[in-house]
Amino acid sequence: MSAQLFLDGVHRSFDGFKAINNLTLSVDKGDLRAVIGPNGAGKTTMMDIITGKTRPDGGEVLWNMSTDLTRLDEAAVANLGIGRKFQKPTVFETHSVEDNIRLALKAPRGVFATLFHRSDKAEEARVTALLDQIRLTHLRTEDAANLSHGQKQWLEIGMLLAQEPDLLLVDEPAAGMTDAETMETAELLKSIAGQRTVIVVEHDMDFVRALDCRVTVLHQGSVLAEGSLDHVSARDDVIEVYLGR
Amino acid sequence: MLLRPYLRLLALCLAMLTPLAASAQTLDELVARLPDGSYDDRAAVVAEIAATGDPRALAVLEALLEGELEQRNSDGRIVIVGGTRRAPTGTDALTGEELGELGRRATERIRVNNSLRRTIRTAMGVMTLRDPDPARRLAAAEAALRSPAVEQLDALDAAMQAEELDYIREAQTLAHAATILASDADTETKIEAVGVIAGAPALTVQSTLNAYRAAEDPALAEAVADAIDAAERRQALWGQAQNLWFGLSLGSVLLLAAIGLAITFGVMGVINLAHGELVMLGAYTTFVVQETIRTHAPEYFGWSLAIAVPLAFLFVGAVGVAIERGIVRHLYGRPLETLLATWGVSLILQQAVRSVFGPTNREVGTPDWMSGAFQLGEMTVTWPRVAIVVFSLTVFFGLLLTMRYSAMGLQMRAVTQNRAMAANLGIRTGRVDALTFGLGAGIAGLAGVALSQIDNVSPNLGQGYIIDSFLVVVFGGVGNLWGTLAAAMSLGVANKFLEPWAGAVLGKILILIFIILFIQKRPRGLFPQRGRAAEG
Amino acid sequence: MSKLIDLRMGLFLAALFIVTVLVPIASTLDEGSAVAIPSYLIPLMGKYLCYAILAVALDLCWGYAGILSLGHGAFFALGGYAIGMHLMREIGARGVYANPDLPDFMVFLGWDELPWFWYGFDWFPFAAVMALLVPGALAFVFGWFAFRSRVSGVYLSIITQALTFALLLAFFRNEMGFGGNNGLTDFRDVLGFSLSAPSTRIALFVLTALALAACLVIAKAITVSKAGKVLVAVRDAESRTRFMGYRVENYSVFVFTVSAMMAGLAGALYVPQVGIINPGEFAPANSIEIVVWVALGGRGTLVGAAIGALVVVAVESWLTANFPDLWLFALGALFIVVVLWMPNGILGLVEKLRFRRAKAPAKTEAPA
Repeated sequence: MSAQLFLDGVHRSFDGFKAINNLTLSVDKGDLRAVIGPNGAGKTTMMDIITGKTRPDGGEVLWNMSTDLTRLDEAAVANLGIGRKFQKPTVFETHSVEDNIRLALKAPRGVFATLFHRSDKAEEARVTALLDQIRLTHLRTEDAANLSHGQKQWLEIGMLLAQEPDLLLVDEPAAGMTDAETMETAELLKSIAGQRTVIVVEHDMDFVRALDCRVTVLHQGSVLAEGSLDHVSARDDVIEVYLGR
Repeated sequence: MLLRPYLRLLALCLAMLTPLAASAQTLDELVARLPDGSYDDRAAVVAEIAATGDPRALAVLEALLEGELEQRNSDGRIVIVGGTRRAPTGTDALTGEELGELGRRATERIRVNNSLRRTIRTAMGVMTLRDPDPARRLAAAEAALRSPAVEQLDALDAAMQAEELDYIREAQTLAHAATILASDADTETKIEAVGVIAGAPALTVQSTLNAYRAAEDPALAEAVADAIDAAERRQALWGQAQNLWFGLSLGSVLLLAAIGLAITFGVMGVINLAHGELVMLGAYTTFVVQETIRTHAPEYFGWSLAIAVPLAFLFVGAVGVAIERGIVRHLYGRPLETLLATWGVSLILQQAVRSVFGPTNREVGTPDWMSGAFQLGEMTVTWPRVAIVVFSLTVFFGLLLTMRYSAMGLQMRAVTQNRAMAANLGIRTGRVDALTFGLGAGIAGLAGVALSQIDNVSPNLGQGYIIDSFLVVVFGGVGNLWGTLAAAMSLGVANKFLEPWAGAVLGKILILIFIILFIQKRPRGLFPQRGRAAEG
Repeated sequence: MSKLIDLRMGLFLAALFIVTVLVPIASTLDEGSAVAIPSYLIPLMGKYLCYAILAVALDLCWGYAGILSLGHGAFFALGGYAIGMHLMREIGARGVYANPDLPDFMVFLGWDELPWFWYGFDWFPFAAVMALLVPGALAFVFGWFAFRSRVSGVYLSIITQALTFALLLAFFRNEMGFGGNNGLTDFRDVLGFSLSAPSTRIALFVLTALALAACLVIAKAITVSKAGKVLVAVRDAESRTRFMGYRVENYSVFVFTVSAMMAGLAGALYVPQVGIINPGEFAPANSIEIVVWVALGGRGTLVGAAIGALVVVAVESWLTANFPDLWLFALGALFIVVVLWMPNGILGLVEKLRFRRAKAPAKTEAPA
């Protein structure tokens, strides 16, 4: 087993409600993985546990089979090379678009490193390249607050790329995008996979289909089914979870 | 010389034991014999006078003791002399007949010496032990306990037999035991007496027994030492109880001050820095009510607090609604801005009160029914403290029930949990906000009424409570009324237990440091609200 | 990234420079001259500049990092006490009790020897370092605990109030060894120069003006650096910053400590000019008043904070002298007006007038 991310028997409950219940999940390096499931299936809580925001009540989350992520805080997890994009686009509203990217660029994160940081040509080139990639070059000096919802989604994806993470956790990236943008996003994520590992949490089945990858179905905090989209969507229990009740 | 006291004792005992024989001689005859003979003769007569049980005897003995009993030279009548030294007046010692001005040197004083005085006092004590007035009987028993005299022993015995009131008999029993200790009774009897005294309040045990610590008889000395140790242990225990009680009453004050904040801050999430000033307005409402009653209907002063309570609630509540509608509602979701704006309100309220009522403390009275104290075991409990504890718990539970069972409480909880949903259900959220804030303010007003009884009513009254109140709410866990109760009580008690050890100011500082560290360790307080929403 | 000295910073520094040159000149003119400034006014103006430094300090951590400290008065007072202790030592044997070894209040309390924590304060450089180090260390320890536990927003404001309140009570105690209720006063001279001499007053004033300029430039340098951008990022979206790998608590502790040291510097300059430091400086209300200076001038502008402080304290002096009853009404109304109608303060209004168009929406609070 050489899983890059391995969740082993993870538990977490909130006031008796089991948000994550004996969840075991393994993602290999370079994989593109879609995680789907109805509301309350535990998708966001799973992200919170991986990124160190929420501590599980039990179980392990292993990174490269060696580091237990459950003992680390958000910053430490991020510095291991795990980047996260939120469901609701979160950018630094009072900073310009380019400053948002600059802050995200892979670089030392210490107070004194940033205090005495000097921008150089290589850095500027990298910012320009990323802005081109997310098509926000024309808005370079605009405050992020003035972007549209879709533009903020792109900016956040750009910030995620700027971090150069080994694992990208992407929470509902297509929300608020046009159909064309949704497809572009899918293409982008597919192109990233291979060099980096990508886990996408998504509701939009068209988007998941466009990703064309292995799908994990979560239900009541544990894995209900795993396989290709066609495979899982043919299963009765999955259909029942989505359509039943 | 040595024999004299014994002779007198003998006479006294004989007199007491043979009341029939003694009463054969009337008081008149005995009093007439007073001026004659030596001091010793006089002592015997005094004992016989006491034995008559005649109610007039006490006044005669008292006058004799004070040196006011004199014999008129002209007719040998015994008179009690009053008036001034230059123009003495007299009353007949027995009939009480006014004799008018006596003229100087018309009378001769019946002399007493120290040993005779002691005899007189004892005799008087013996007489009052059987006084028809229970208060005087009790006083006599207590006096006998303070200065036990062997002469009283039989009188005490007799009094105990005859006594019908339990609490007086208890006092007499104690005095009796103390007297036995002072007598030359055998060790066994004395140890028995020590056992009786050991049951008395600790201070009495100490003052009565201390003298016998060094008793020659080792068994007695040991019994005495044991009794004193036990009393001291008991006293220490009661001291803790007293601390606990003081702590609970301080906690009640904190609870009162914080409970309004538990609504505005805890339930609504509004940082109201003017909360202390709302408390202050409540205190001034009490002042105004009392002034009005004093000038217009002083006979109803006892009702002033009962009248002030609803008025303060309504008035301060209305001020709260005005603050909410005028300022706070524009700032929901912006806690730091709310904090600054309400601080501005607090400055304005402070200065307004200062301009109207002046900067100095105003006098707020305590109705008679609330003053005084009672004894509980070894500690004294004052009524105002009891009243504050009862009042603050009443307010607390009243609020708890309101929040849980009333329609308004339901709407408040609905709005704070999900504003949009509540609005969709037809709840007028604006009105609920205003009323919730008004409720918190009104409770601050109630706190003001109570605090006017224990603190100086000045424009600065509120400032003293604002930080404490916030700490109590945060310490208990925001949004949790029970947490506020627990926090207020535990902080109050902790403060009072630290005080004897660290002093009042240092104790307060230690508590502050503790809370600062505690909040840093557990930012959500003692009883945090749990759940995914609270994870933030 | 942004320029270190922008237009308004340049204008303010120029104005400050002119005042700093003109005031000493005007103070040496004849009494009769129309523009002469009496000597007693110089410390007053110096005092105002100290408040401006204090406002800049608070703006650095509130305006940029979103840390609303309601305890900055404590750091100010600690800096003041450090210098006050040195000035007490410099009195030497000239006190009322003429005791060469102990300050008057210790003699009065019947103490035999100097408490250990007074050692070293005879030496000016030590006291000067302590004036920065003590507030800095307190802020570091306090911030380290608070920010690591993610105490933020209103909770932080409340415990900083509790902090200054605890210090207020502590310094009132005679046993603390800082002069109790009366504080430290009756200072004679500093570094051998008489504090009442006009030349010393001018020197202190100029020094304060330089300190203000230095603090503005340092604060600006921090805010335009990448670290400053991180601070604003923390203010606007704290958890996003964490998920990017920045240790938010380290940044918060850093800016809180720097800010506290600036406040300490302000206090250190304040005490020799005012001539007294007492526990009243720890009063919680003082710390809250600093916030309105910053808010009035314009939160997150540095220069605005300094201007806000100067405006408010000037109005305060004037009102308390002429209409003492009105001052608290005015201050209270100021809080409300600024919060409700001037979210960007004076500088915000100026910008509005300059561009004749609505600016971008007001800076929103970071989500809790």
